[in-house]
Amino acid sequence: MAGGSVSECKEYLFKVLVIGELGVGKTSIIKRYVHQLFSQHYRATIGVDFALKVINWDSKTLVRLQLWDIAGQERFGNMTRVYYKEAVGAFVVFDMTRGSTFEAVSKWKHDLDSKVKLANGSPIPSVLLANKCDQKKDGSNNTAPMDNFCKETGFLGWFETSAKDNINVDEAARFLVENILANDKGLPYEESNGDRVKLDQETVAAESKSGCC
Amino acid sequence: MAAEGLPCEFDVVILGTGLVESVVAAACSRVGQRVLHLDRRSYYAANWASFTFNGLLDWIQRRQEPPPQPDELQDWSSLLEEGEELIYLCNADSSSVSNVQVFSFTREEEESVSPPSTTEEEEAAAAAEVEEAEEETTQSTDIKEKESKEETFNEEDDGQAAGVDGEEHEAPPPDNQSRKKVSYSELLDKGRRFNIDLVSKLMFSRGSLIDLLIKSNVSRYAEFKNVSRILTCRHGNVEQVPCSRADVFGSRQLSVVEKRKLMRFLTSVVEETEQQTAYSGRPYLDFLCEQQLGDNLQHFLLHSIAMVTEDTPTEEGLASTRHFLRCLGRYGNTPFLFPVYGLGEIPQCFCRMSAVFGGIYCLRHTVHCLLLDKSNNRCKAVIDSRGQRISCSHFVVEEGYVATERKKVVTPTRSISRAVLITDASVLPAHSDQQVSLVTVPPVAAGAPVVKMVELCSSTMTCIPGTYLVHLTCQSVGSAYEDLSPVVTRMFNTPESHDQETCPSVLWCLYFNMVDGSGVQVQGHDLPPNVYVCSGPDGGLGHEHAVTQAESIFRNILPDEEFCPPAPNPEDIIYDGDSAPSTGEEEKQGEEKGEEEAGQSERGEGTGVEEVGQSESGEE
Repeated sequence: MAGGSVSECKEYLFKVLVIGELGVGKTSIIKRYVHQLFSQHYRATIGVDFALKVINWDSKTLVRLQLWDIAGQERFGNMTRVYYKEAVGAFVVFDMTRGSTFEAVSKWKHDLDSKVKLANGSPIPSVLLANKCDQKKDGSNNTAPMDNFCKETGFLGWFETSAKDNINVDEAARFLVENILANDKGLPYEESNGDRVKLDQETVAAESKSGCC
Repeated sequence: MAAEGLPCEFDVVILGTGLVESVVAAACSRVGQRVLHLDRRSYYAANWASFTFNGLLDWIQRRQEPPPQPDELQDWSSLLEEGEELIYLCNADSSSVSNVQVFSFTREEEESVSPPSTTEEEEAAAAAEVEEAEEETTQSTDIKEKESKEETFNEEDDGQAAGVDGEEHEAPPPDNQSRKKVSYSELLDKGRRFNIDLVSKLMFSRGSLIDLLIKSNVSRYAEFKNVSRILTCRHGNVEQVPCSRADVFGSRQLSVVEKRKLMRFLTSVVEETEQQTAYSGRPYLDFLCEQQLGDNLQHFLLHSIAMVTEDTPTEEGLASTRHFLRCLGRYGNTPFLFPVYGLGEIPQCFCRMSAVFGGIYCLRHTVHCLLLDKSNNRCKAVIDSRGQRISCSHFVVEEGYVATERKKVVTPTRSISRAVLITDASVLPAHSDQQVSLVTVPPVAAGAPVVKMVELCSSTMTCIPGTYLVHLTCQSVGSAYEDLSPVVTRMFNTPESHDQETCPSVLWCLYFNMVDGSGVQVQGHDLPPNVYVCSGPDGGLGHEHAVTQAESIFRNILPDEEFCPPAPNPEDIIYDGDSAPSTGEEEKQGEEKGEEEAGQSERGEGTGVEEVGQSESGEE
């Protein structure tokens, strides 16, 4: 999976949240971005935690992006802290064809900012996705009001996306990662995380140390 | 986010998000049960929760408010069908916590006295400090008036006064130049970086909770820190207990002879000998005396390694010693792990796993009553706080929701005494200030309880740099304050302590009692057989009680299913083009039933379909 990890290559692991109302296409966007797939008939997200996308950002940088989907059933807005903790970026998604999903965007953004912050206390970078733009009915141009909305609500920017027609999904991701990387450079990140213990099956398998004295 | 209606049929409805309930939720969802998981509170993990500093202050305040009026018993009989009967649940769980007392000993003045430590942020906040401190005082006083007895009043008032106008009563400790004092407003400003657990436990590295986390892959949601050392309090001094081979040989407080004796003992104890069995039923202390180990080693072995009392029978003492030794060296130098961000993470990890496998979560949402089918004496449905009738095959409930008259509890009810301190230094400073320590404190006086203390450093993400979070726990003899303040006064510097300027200062502390959950059984209550009662936190150091209980509930509900099989890794999930738009499910269903498609459609409807989203997305 990890292609160009040359000796000087810097590796990053970023946790990115994908949030928004039910049925706006969060899972579709993730599947499109990570697996280049689209299906009309997705069911509620069952059994999936996050999807991993490996990006050869440039010759010296490898980025592993963990895209965390809302488990469909946390949709009542009661996400566990497990979901939010240590996230460094977020997509908030709404469905262009359903106004109510846009109205919920501010709520989601507010919830996001109240539950997770960067190490320096500022909100994590987030990008607004206006999904299902392939179904947009009128050709109206709402760039100015959307720009304003983003400024007021604290989004870095917004994209009209279509998971179905693969419009702007990669671009939006690239834009977010750029911002995360910019943040990361300024932060003494993970200074004390080195001695944290992860428990997994491999640890157990690799166990050979004799127990006690 | 949106107010949506709930589906009206589930396999398992679970009320309460404590550890036991959350493990049951994850286990049931994982094998395809439709789970609805509710909690009346606005936060996860019930009495297992952890709070930010500000969140904890809110929690404390809620304990002070008069218990909510029992909801005017709403008449749900209109929802009754032929042959049904109502069983009302109770909504007040406040009875599980009592004797809440808070003290703030932060000294606001010192901020300006020690210029090097003053940051702009603090200066900006300085104006607000006094006000906040005063608020805190009133708050604590209120609690005292309600809860505490007069005897401690004066001392407490001193402590309180110090919080407001430090210069009057306090001679600043001599080392206050070197230690940066944290002000109350700083605790509030950086409050979100605290994660203060209501429960204080550790995870035995070969205990049942660690095994379950690994086996189920729920461990992917958490990271841990090694408990880096075990300390004990002896003759008023804090000493490190040598427990690994390296510790023993590196120890400076043990003589060569003692080292040899200890090693020989620890090696020999692993296997059962005739000599050991001869001591069955007699105190472990007698057995230790017989080994002629000397006072030092005897203290370590009894209090810190076996962690038992002087009258614990030998077989029990040996069993806990062996468990301790088995757990050594799996992850670090001591047998214990502690989760980064606190223990309150663990129930949430299981909730996330349940949600990932279709469990529906609603906080601030409760169940008012159960519907009993009189023909078979089973609970067939519940009525939720919105008056919706939700049918279910099983109902799992946190003990606090069950009316006292229906509960069969071991009497007298035991309780746990707890104290939480925010301090400015470690009880035993070492080369690194990032130590996680378990401190065993033998009874300070005859009849006093054995106290276990856990000191957490900031890299556990439970407190801010420059502070330590200290949890004290014991079986209650009196109130938490009566049980634990003697230990606090002896080991820390508070306005009540004398000649202890070198000890860590307590900036803020909280005392409370919590009901000990170990007295609650899953069944045997005056409830239908498909209703399972989960106990709250017990007083033990590990999590065996909770895990055992969760597994037994799961076995009752689904005797033929595997308990928490591993969830697939996200990387291993194969996305199929258009035909089978499912996800990890095929893996799971494939391995268990080998009938992918059928299995999916069977549960697809009930849990809602993301793109089509018919049943759920009404209203708006």
